Amino acid sequence: MRPLPNDLRLTEEDLIDHYEQAPCGYCTSLPDGTLTRLNATLLGWLGRTRDELVARTTVQQLLTIGGRLHYEMHALPLLLLEGEVRELSYQLRHQDGSTRPVLLNARLLRDDAGEPLVVRLTFFDITERHRYEQELRRSHAQGQEQSAQLAQANALLMSQNEQLSRSTADLDNFVYMASHDLRQPINNMAGLFAELKQTAAFTDPETADMVRMFEAALQQAVRTIDGLAEVVQQQRQELVPVEKLALKAMAEEILGSLQPQVLAKQAEFTLDFGAAPTVHTTRPELYSVLYNLFSNALKYSAPGRPVRVAAHSARVAGAVVLTVQDNGRGIDLTQHGDKLFQLFSRFHPEEEGTGTGLYLVNRLMTQAGGRVEVESEVGQGTTFRLVWPQ
Amino acid sequence: MDVLGRNNVQVSGTGERTLVFVHGFGCDQSMWRLVAPAFEDRYRVVLLDLVGAGQSDLAAYDFERYSTLEAHADDLLAVLRALDLPPVALVAHSVSAIIGMLAAIREPARFAGLVMLGPSPHYLNEPGYAGGFERSDIDELLDVMASNYLGWAGAFAPVVMGAPEQPALRDELNASFCRTDPAIARHFAGVIFLGDNRADLPRLRTPTLVVQSAHDAIAPRAVGTYVHQQLPGSQLVVVNTTGHCAHLSAPRETIAAITPFLDALPMPATLQPA
Repeated sequence: MRPLPNDLRLTEEDLIDHYEQAPCGYCTSLPDGTLTRLNATLLGWLGRTRDELVARTTVQQLLTIGGRLHYEMHALPLLLLEGEVRELSYQLRHQDGSTRPVLLNARLLRDDAGEPLVVRLTFFDITERHRYEQELRRSHAQGQEQSAQLAQANALLMSQNEQLSRSTADLDNFVYMASHDLRQPINNMAGLFAELKQTAAFTDPETADMVRMFEAALQQAVRTIDGLAEVVQQQRQELVPVEKLALKAMAEEILGSLQPQVLAKQAEFTLDFGAAPTVHTTRPELYSVLYNLFSNALKYSAPGRPVRVAAHSARVAGAVVLTVQDNGRGIDLTQHGDKLFQLFSRFHPEEEGTGTGLYLVNRLMTQAGGRVEVESEVGQGTTFRLVWPQ
Repeated sequence: MDVLGRNNVQVSGTGERTLVFVHGFGCDQSMWRLVAPAFEDRYRVVLLDLVGAGQSDLAAYDFERYSTLEAHADDLLAVLRALDLPPVALVAHSVSAIIGMLAAIREPARFAGLVMLGPSPHYLNEPGYAGGFERSDIDELLDVMASNYLGWAGAFAPVVMGAPEQPALRDELNASFCRTDPAIARHFAGVIFLGDNRADLPRLRTPTLVVQSAHDAIAPRAVGTYVHQQLPGSQLVVVNTTGHCAHLSAPRETIAAITPFLDALPMPATLQPA
């Protein structure tokens, strides 16, 4: 475009027409807001005539009531102090009741004595921008509300977590007390039985086996109680050391203590720990986990077929995985899966049990940083996979 | 920060007697520019910003604590204690007239007199009381404040600039006269316009002058008359001007209206036991 500094057409621009038809609203008021002049654009936005407004109404009255208050308390003091306000967001009221979002800039003119004379005001229509701003404000408020909700949910989780920790500690105490209280009567039984062997005469040839089995069962009870006490002791004090434990020796020890049940069920255990012969954990933990899985396999066997249990270990991605597979009754996991590891949950009420075995297995494994995986088919058997990170 | 810094307390003038000026909502101590200097030749003049306004410590604005005007009355008393002043005359505009009243009810010995400019103890219309506004009007004001450009800038500019901790923009906004943090201004507006301190009026024992603007859209004449009637022994003077800020729109008339009252106040040189 060529420069037109002296082009006549510029000087011929009709300034009155420019004022009246400008693409913005112009008006002038006295310092108290009384209107003295308005351009045609502004009158059109208001749906009013010049005669209706000049000297009869104030700038404040052109605005909705919120804007009126804001202008009175904020804009006017600023104008009188600083001589200018900028970019104030208001709504103009049309005579028909509709409103138009505007930005207001205004400037105060003073007379020769420095006294406030008039205020010149310019209104810009910002309908589109206002819509966008409202959208922004809405999503901003929404975001704040959501983060408040999140914070609330977090606080709830924290308090639930605390409660859970407390219940777990209570449960540990309970188990510890129970094992402690059971030890005394078991010791009494052992003493009494030793006494009985001394004094009573057993003539029946089968009795010798029964005496041996009774002693084995007694020892197992003592070990279980000791193990339980040690497990919770470990939670409470972490005194039991982590060791490199041979799976084969531990499995055989446990099977020895389960000998009566093994014989009764004509059970066959296949042990293969060649791929991963040892595992890093505490003795009571490994004992408790294996004991519970083996005794479960014996207890919940399928009627009418000899028990077959295969236990083997493997190394998978740095972890030791111990698999114990039985051919027992199986558990309907779609129905009971979520309750499998709950304390006191029973799935075979026809057998005696306390509902603590799998709870303990799972708890010990998760506390060791590992996990338990289960696959089961009703009538076919169950496979447990214990995963120990090493 | 000590209380004098927190409330941006400025002391000028010379005299045995002390005038304390407290600004109203929407502005700060700069709104006394046309009035306060007229008293500096014979009064010690104390100016302050309410916490949340002007150059006060914005970080001290605890939204929960400042959800009643009592917190601002606490601040005012703390300033007077820190300056260790004999009884003062308080010149307080709009909401600060109510704040000053609450402070004077609490510790009357610290106040020789109170000038209330455009006070309103309650802005909402109630049966038998014309406060001037409906609840929907106040909600609309809060909305205007939220949609005001400054409100928009305050809420979004730090996010847009990607530097929430960058103080430059906020400082620039706050450095200007009467610019307040939008979130604080909006909160303060809710406290002011939805509060009701009518029941406190009869408890005030301090000599009081009510200065009413002839045409005030915020605190209409009926409200000024109500305040005058509820304050036993108070005086009422009407300044012939339009608007809520007579000390800005008619500073000479305002000075003339309050000077006889202030000059006649007995102001002992030491604090009297309460």
